Amino acid sequence: MTARVGAADLALIVLGLPFASFLLLALVRPLRRSAPAAAVVSIATMALAFVAAFLTLQGSVPRRPAVSPSTTWSWIPADGGPMASVGVMVDELSMWMLLLVTLVSLLVQVYSWAYLADEPRSSLGRYYAYHSLFAFSMLGLVLSPTFLQMFIFWELVGLCSYLLIGFWYDRPAAARAAVKAFWITKLGDLGFVAGIVMLWSVTGTFDFWTLFKMGSMGTLPVDALPPIMFLIYLGAVGKSAQFPLHVWLPDAMEGPTPVSALIHAATMVTAGVFLVTRAFPLFRFAPDVLTLMAWVGAFTALLAASMACVEADIKRVLAYSTISQLGYMMAAAGAGSPDAGFLHLLTHGVFKALLFLGAGIVIHVFHTNDMFRMGGLRGQPTVWLPFVVATLALTGVPPLPGFFTKEAILAGMLEVRRWGPFTLLAVTAFLTAFYMFRVVFLTFFGRSRHAGHAHHHVPGLMHAVCWALAALTLARGLQVAFFSGPHDGEGPGWLPAFSLTLAGAGILLAWAMYQRALVDPARVAAVLRPIDWMARRRYGLDALYAGLYRGILLGFARLIGWIDRYLVDGVLNVVSAWTLRAGDRLRRLQTGQPQDYVYGVAFGALLLFVLAHWRLR
Amino acid sequence: MPLGAYLTLAALVFAIGLFGVLTRRNAVGILLGIELMLNAVNINLVAFARFHADLAGILFTLFTISITVAEVAVGLAIVIVIFRVRRTVEADHLNMLRG
Amino acid sequence: MTAEMLAFAGVAVVLLASSLGVVLTPNLFHAILYLAVALVSTGVVFLLLDAPFLFGVQLLLYAGGVVTIVVFAIMLTERLVGTSIRQTNRYLVNGALVSLAVFVGVVGFLVQAPPSAPRPAWPGDLTVAVGQALVGAYAVPLELLGVLLVIALLGALYFARSEG
Repeated sequence: MTARVGAADLALIVLGLPFASFLLLALVRPLRRSAPAAAVVSIATMALAFVAAFLTLQGSVPRRPAVSPSTTWSWIPADGGPMASVGVMVDELSMWMLLLVTLVSLLVQVYSWAYLADEPRSSLGRYYAYHSLFAFSMLGLVLSPTFLQMFIFWELVGLCSYLLIGFWYDRPAAARAAVKAFWITKLGDLGFVAGIVMLWSVTGTFDFWTLFKMGSMGTLPVDALPPIMFLIYLGAVGKSAQFPLHVWLPDAMEGPTPVSALIHAATMVTAGVFLVTRAFPLFRFAPDVLTLMAWVGAFTALLAASMACVEADIKRVLAYSTISQLGYMMAAAGAGSPDAGFLHLLTHGVFKALLFLGAGIVIHVFHTNDMFRMGGLRGQPTVWLPFVVATLALTGVPPLPGFFTKEAILAGMLEVRRWGPFTLLAVTAFLTAFYMFRVVFLTFFGRSRHAGHAHHHVPGLMHAVCWALAALTLARGLQVAFFSGPHDGEGPGWLPAFSLTLAGAGILLAWAMYQRALVDPARVAAVLRPIDWMARRRYGLDALYAGLYRGILLGFARLIGWIDRYLVDGVLNVVSAWTLRAGDRLRRLQTGQPQDYVYGVAFGALLLFVLAHWRLR
Repeated sequence: MPLGAYLTLAALVFAIGLFGVLTRRNAVGILLGIELMLNAVNINLVAFARFHADLAGILFTLFTISITVAEVAVGLAIVIVIFRVRRTVEADHLNMLRG
Repeated sequence: MTAEMLAFAGVAVVLLASSLGVVLTPNLFHAILYLAVALVSTGVVFLLLDAPFLFGVQLLLYAGGVVTIVVFAIMLTERLVGTSIRQTNRYLVNGALVSLAVFVGVVGFLVQAPPSAPRPAWPGDLTVAVGQALVGAYAVPLELLGVLLVIALLGALYFARSEG
């Protein structure tokens, strides 16, 4: 037995705990109405789940198990074996994801308790119920042994995203954002489900392990795979906000900041990358799809970075940054080094969550999201130090983990000689450094620009979580730097220096423009006018989608509505009106004159005579 | 005379009676028409009884005559009551069954 | 032309003429009288059909009883006793058409029938046979008839009672 005995049981515990919490909070109303109780239930179960996830990591699991690491139960029976089964698949990939999801969920839930202290009590209970459901869905997704089960949890995660983005459902902007997120990811999901079904129809199974085995033994119908894998990739495009389905992520910032930290930085959006990494043995058979993935990923990275440079809302900058980094991860997979992308996913999850939570602190202090109204916090290192640590990690400065993972991705790209995506990613690295330090300088340093009073007392809990995440980031970076063995893609010798130069240049430019005002941002914008203009308008994509939605979808809905009102209802109304009118006319037969009735009898008798004549003939 | 002659005679009387029922305005007039129709039926019955040597037809006629008498009695009683109430026996005015 | 045929022709003419009189004459009293003639003619037809008992019954019940009743009813339903009651008919053409159609329908059946056999012999005396049947095989209908007549009597009495 190569898998640790009991790993599947631990995985089930990890999965079951948040589900139990959700059930409790959903069904037991008094529990939900009392916010402290709800928080305790949710946080406690999440803590236990984290412990269980940590324990699963203690056993050693080889990277290429010889037997299926899945434990399944048959679900949809069919002739010749079950058509679909449910269960858990515990291998290295899912174990690391378990750890990430439970850890970040736990920290975010703790942080939320302080951040949402002003919420009415009952709605906070609802918040924690959603959090538990989300944790359950995400954990189920990463533990899925089959495409079908993953799809189910995929959809559940989308639902939770909708619920959490639209948590403040009486805000029209939030409601719209939730619906938009749902719609756009649904577009991708259409491709996903089509791909899964087509895969089943050519191979007869949904199970990952079985499919990988078929692939390695050469019994997969490889000619049919490229379109199938493209469709499955579409699902990842939607969920992981690749171009052109990235437009939902900035708007999703309408949700509470802890929610953004959890699902739009560390967990839900990474589901797409996870899918690609998990199904990579199948993607290997579709090299064209991989090429597309690399290009789209790199392009998305650059596009999002350019939009982040002109954004004033701190959360939106972080949203674009997430899109950009997701592009990095997908590009890595496209370049044939999914492990590099996955590693970046793990580290990015931690420091991006930290960035969001740190942003939450400054939002709490300044009561605004607008960076141009912040500043002057130099004297409070407790506030800016964790954030700066995370920014350095994102920018790619050693010994923080971002440096190593980005370098791995770039190395992987060079290894397969994809110069185009490599260039895009390199420029993106420069821009990443630039816009992130733009954020840092505007938000924390310089003279304070805010009008009105700043809420300088920040709950200790929020600080504690941020510091914990910062420590984790640093520790991880040190671990990778000094203790990890050889991993995918070392790259040519000039690469580390190259990426450091890019990062340094970006930081310098930001410092010059925003801290020292040596270079006027307006002049730079004037020089780059066309790009600046387009970036500010998000390259027209949002408007395009809105126009399509209004034009096609709503137009179609109006047409159907017209048909329903005038044709379907019309037919019924006409039939009923005719019935009434006929009844009215027939009523006049009842004259009340007895002789008229005798006429009727006589006619009846004549009719009978005619009939009898006919028969007798 | 062949059977057909008697039957044709009865049919004629029946048709005339029907004409009376359909066209008479007075309620009593209508009843007279009904009398004629019943008479025609009796002729039919007796003719068939005679030409098939079956007693049942004769007895049937007997019963028919008796029942007709009872019916006329009750029917006229009703007409008299209606006259008391509505002061008219003209069929055109007796349209309380109108729908 | 046998005697029977002559007799039949004569009775038929009288019957038809009086029937037409019943339905066409405007005077209601005259209609009653025509009806009496028609009833008696029907009795004669019964005679021609070798049923003298029925002739007697017809005269007694119909010509005697029914005519009397109807005369009384007419007298009771007119505002002024003695005035000749005039009445006209409605929709003559419609009625005529329908009656004609019914007649044609019935005759249509007769025409298609096979030619009938001549009269068979009557076994025994009709009256005796009728009497025996009434208390024998047809005793139950006879009793029921009695019940019916009682009910009719009661009904007529009920209707005829004075108000208040």
